[in-house]
Amino acid sequence: MASSDKAPDSMPVGDGSVPPGKPLTMGHQVIDKSAQMLQTLKPIKQMSQHVCTFAVYGHDMSRQIEAHHYITRVNQDFLQSAVYDSNDSSAHLIGVEYIVSDRIFDTLSHEEQKLWHSHDHEVTSGMWVNPGVPEMIQKSELENIAHTYGKFWCTWQVDRGDRLPLGAPALMMSPQVVNMGVIKPELVRVRDNKFKISTEELRKQRANFAVSKPGNARAADYWMHTGKGFAIDIEHVEMKMLEGPKYP
Amino acid sequence: MDPVHASILPEVPGEKTKIGTSLVDTAAATIQSFGPTKQIHQHLCAFHFYADDMTRQVEAHHYCGHLNEDMRQCLIYDRPDADARLIGLEYIVTEELFLTLPDTEKPMWHSHEYEVKSGVLFLPGVPGPVERKDLEKVAKTYGKTIHFWQVDRGDELPLGLPQVMMALTRDGQLYPSLAKDVESRYGVSFEKERANRAYMEGPTHGIHPKANAAGIGLKTVLREIECKPSVQSESVPRVFV
Repeated sequence: MASSDKAPDSMPVGDGSVPPGKPLTMGHQVIDKSAQMLQTLKPIKQMSQHVCTFAVYGHDMSRQIEAHHYITRVNQDFLQSAVYDSNDSSAHLIGVEYIVSDRIFDTLSHEEQKLWHSHDHEVTSGMWVNPGVPEMIQKSELENIAHTYGKFWCTWQVDRGDRLPLGAPALMMSPQVVNMGVIKPELVRVRDNKFKISTEELRKQRANFAVSKPGNARAADYWMHTGKGFAIDIEHVEMKMLEGPKYP
Repeated sequence: MDPVHASILPEVPGEKTKIGTSLVDTAAATIQSFGPTKQIHQHLCAFHFYADDMTRQVEAHHYCGHLNEDMRQCLIYDRPDADARLIGLEYIVTEELFLTLPDTEKPMWHSHEYEVKSGVLFLPGVPGPVERKDLEKVAKTYGKTIHFWQVDRGDELPLGLPQVMMALTRDGQLYPSLAKDVESRYGVSFEKERANRAYMEGPTHGIHPKANAAGIGLKTVLREIECKPSVQSESVPRVFV
């Protein structure tokens, strides 16, 4: 019915804007503001870091994107992030990434590990950056992140031209030092200009980071060991029902 | 399995955050701008069930922001607290946008008319009259919800594949225990709200027959594929010579 690695059957029409639709009306802005004043939005207030980095589609590694993570640290070993395609107020929510320490990663089953990617190269190469935060302050957190593994599902393939979030969620992979994991220099250049940073400089400064010992039993970065990626299909099945009520 | 509230589920494994680690968080929070998340203006509580299993129902706390008048994007948590788990996301579009989706896409989206009109979908803390001004619009919308963390089956971590979720479409589907639990925690009455919302209307063209999993059900499946482009490709420059 739908697959993460197949283009949508048709593209929603409109004036080309992503998403299509009318600008937010004044009336709606007023409703929003009233609600906002009365509600506490606690989980959102826990987001404490903005990170800019890059990700690669697991089913087509020629497609690479700049990704903006808004991260909540849940405990010393676990972080959760909402991922957007830019850091603007008009950014599209393109997915969610979960990050676990190597300790927690090692408790995952082999089958589960295949869905995850490592972060050491992403950090030591300078790809992973907290824009605006001095490198000195970032250092301990970066060393921490360099020992973690991530699981990133992308639900809106904006880079493919999708004007609305279409299809099945796609599994993403991380930048790596070899082959298709290498991020296109042009993408990095655009990012660096936007945030006035030099990824190359960061790479030099981070060269001495202690990285996660590469456990031979670890199945992360599946594509690097096997040349295989993953796609997600969505299929029709009979829904397990409750006794009584009909559906829909 | 009887549904349980998120607060009694096992904690996320891991040590407590060390002081040194949280220093970065504090610095980052003061220095950085949070453009996209500043757009999140609204907390909405509702229920989802798995698109292949109506017997598994989950309380879902949505934190939503508008991309424009016709579309919202929401982060979904298992509870409205500081230690909430980010379990999924939802996109909400007007009927107008929904109708432009290809027919193969429509089944992944669900209607909101019943949830709104029955009172089970609400904005915690917002007085009825203000809440209704927004919900009368929501009643006409469609949503696409994906969950990544199956907290209802006791998963301590976000394991497995993303799950397409569906929404309630008629009386008798929602577990009474889940409903009563939410009503007592928030001091709301779904029945009372139902009466207040009787005037609201669903989509102008009626609920589309292809929405709500086309009345059947949906399931996600993992497929292993050859890496594209080929991992063996020599046309790709290598960092190490």
